[in-house]
Amino acid sequence: MYMLDCLLNFIRRVLDTIFSRRITNSLLIFVKTNTGTVVPVGLDPKWEVRDVKEFVAPKLGMTPEELMIIFAGKELQDSELLEEYNLAEQTVLHAVKSRRRSFKRKPRVSTCIEEDEEFDDTKRAAVNFYVYCTSPCANTTVGKIRVRCFKCKSGAFTVDSDPKNWNDVLKPKRITGHCEISQCTDGEVGWSEFYFKCSEHVTKGENDEAVALHLIRNNLHDIQCLACTDVRSKVFVYPCDDGHVTCLECFCEYAVSRLRERRFVFDNDIGYTLPCPAGCPNSLINQPYHFKVLSKDHFEMYERFATEEYVLKNGGVLCPQPNCGAGILVDDDCDKVSCINGCGYVFCKKCLQGYHIGECLPKEEQLIIDITGYSVDPKLVSQSKWDDASKVKIKVSTKPCPKCRTATERDGGCMHMVCTRCSFPWCWLCQTEWTRECMGSHWFS
Amino acid sequence: MNNIATQRIKREFKEVIKSEELAKCSIKVDLIGDSYTELKGEIAGPPDTPYEGGTFFLEIKVPETYPFNPPKVRFMTKIWHPNISSVTGAICLDILKDQWAAAMTLRTVLLSLQALMAAAEPDDPQDAVVAKQYKEYPEIFAKTASHWTNVYAGGPNKNSDFDTKIQRLIDMGIECDQARGALSTYNWDLERATEQLFS
Ligand SMILES: [Zn+2]
Ligand SMILES: [Zn+2]
Ligand SMILES: [Zn+2]
Ligand SMILES: [Zn+2]
Ligand SMILES: [Zn+2]
Ligand SMILES: [Zn+2]
Ligand SMILES: [Zn+2]
Ligand SMILES: [Zn+2]
Repeated sequence: MYMLDCLLNFIRRVLDTIFSRRITNSLLIFVKTNTGTVVPVGLDPKWEVRDVKEFVAPKLGMTPEELMIIFAGKELQDSELLEEYNLAEQTVLHAVKSRRRSFKRKPRVSTCIEEDEEFDDTKRAAVNFYVYCTSPCANTTVGKIRVRCFKCKSGAFTVDSDPKNWNDVLKPKRITGHCEISQCTDGEVGWSEFYFKCSEHVTKGENDEAVALHLIRNNLHDIQCLACTDVRSKVFVYPCDDGHVTCLECFCEYAVSRLRERRFVFDNDIGYTLPCPAGCPNSLINQPYHFKVLSKDHFEMYERFATEEYVLKNGGVLCPQPNCGAGILVDDDCDKVSCINGCGYVFCKKCLQGYHIGECLPKEEQLIIDITGYSVDPKLVSQSKWDDASKVKIKVSTKPCPKCRTATERDGGCMHMVCTRCSFPWCWLCQTEWTRECMGSHWFS
Repeated sequence: MNNIATQRIKREFKEVIKSEELAKCSIKVDLIGDSYTELKGEIAGPPDTPYEGGTFFLEIKVPETYPFNPPKVRFMTKIWHPNISSVTGAICLDILKDQWAAAMTLRTVLLSLQALMAAAEPDDPQDAVVAKQYKEYPEIFAKTASHWTNVYAGGPNKNSDFDTKIQRLIDMGIECDQARGALSTYNWDLERATEQLFS
């Protein structure tokens, strides 16, 4: 990194000296050719594209007329100003030899995309893309969209039309175009592939991608947050039909409260995620990177729980010890499970009670063990956070879910319990699945 | 309490105050103390039900994670209803459990409870005894509910027959509420209620 910085600084200084008389406001740009040559050039943002061509062509052994400059999937037209494109320091422009001079294109750089909403020029300035920049920013940042050839991944690619919505960008093979790499598409239709870069750090080259957080948008329509009713400039738009909106703060609050209750959903395609907080159907957040918006600690919690949930889905078990709950993959033939990466508890796979030889105990007797069985290992007890007071509370007002054994508290509500972890409906009295019989037969206590 | 919950409750509180239901005296919310974690709700018994003319008070506790989790609501006024415990006031209503959604408000909760009072759901009862009576002896149920409304919620319908029976048990040394509970449970059969109380 340091070496690269030094080198770039050096180049910048050299360029500054050379062009100091001509360029007042220099921008370092890399011009990349199809042969792989990268030419660093200092440009004035006030220049027209025509000037760039005149400046670059001799360095590439071409005439300005032969040259075509491509940026973000668009051929830049001679009369356009560089500053219209908002080029950042060290942006890569693609210079290719033009083979289709008669081919007229109407270029425009889109910087604005709404999901299933037509592009509207008036909104262009206000809209940004948000991305998660893993390194070096390690943060949610403003992103920029880029395009490349779906087949050969070259950036020397022109699109036939602008993407109009998020689906065009996120789903493959939606927008056609032309790859300038010879023989790549070879007369066939070329497909574009969109990707995102972080705009808040100096680019580390073309492989410096960031994950699009497409559900985080600028609040152009001044929609109020569904939870706190504030109108904020940046919002989270849930992928439900109604497009419900919360502010980012409330999104975090929602995610953290659901995490603590272990009420995330495990979807086979998406992973560990959440639906719209208004309870809409088919509204799962389809890009789990959005949870990176949470604090570091909470994201770690998210990752841990997600792993455990994965374990469960794959036939593993969760350690039944209070405050542990580590996921453990189990052996098919053996009922003895040890919580190796967690608290060290050794238990029976079938009944989730302390490991025993022979048949599992019937439920009534298990309950007694539940109440008295907290002293597994004095050392572990001292480590765990249950103090005496909470132990008493557990005895009195919580019972384990009959299905997953998660301790569930009864807050004076119905006998009809719904496990917060596995959603199993059960009866507080019978400690079995909730039935119509339960409803009719239990007297008030 | 966290900011989101507080702010949200403050706004909802205003929403109820400005609502037309408040103007019609059908629902009301009061703060308890100056924190927004505990509130007192008030529902008027819906017309053409045994609860008509009564005023029912509710205890509303707002969790830290509101509005992503439902408020905890309980009837403070004793009520005879299949979905509400005649003993604790606990409520069996789906939107206060798994069907809660962050877009719901105190106002929607109070209106839903009012709707529940008007149309019970005896198949998902909180109080199995009441539910059984509601299904098997609807007339006795209506009279009992109306009597409870009169005694506990200020309803207009006095039932001197019921009062006489309760007085009989009081004379035997039984506490008033307990006597009413036992008689209500046994469909106002004085003998069976006595039997149960002294067994
Ligand atoms: Zn737009
Ligand atoms: Zn970055
Ligand atoms: Zn290609
Ligand atoms: Zn909010
Ligand atoms: Zn929604
Ligand atoms: Zn463990
Ligand atoms: Zn066992
Ligand atoms: Zn039961």
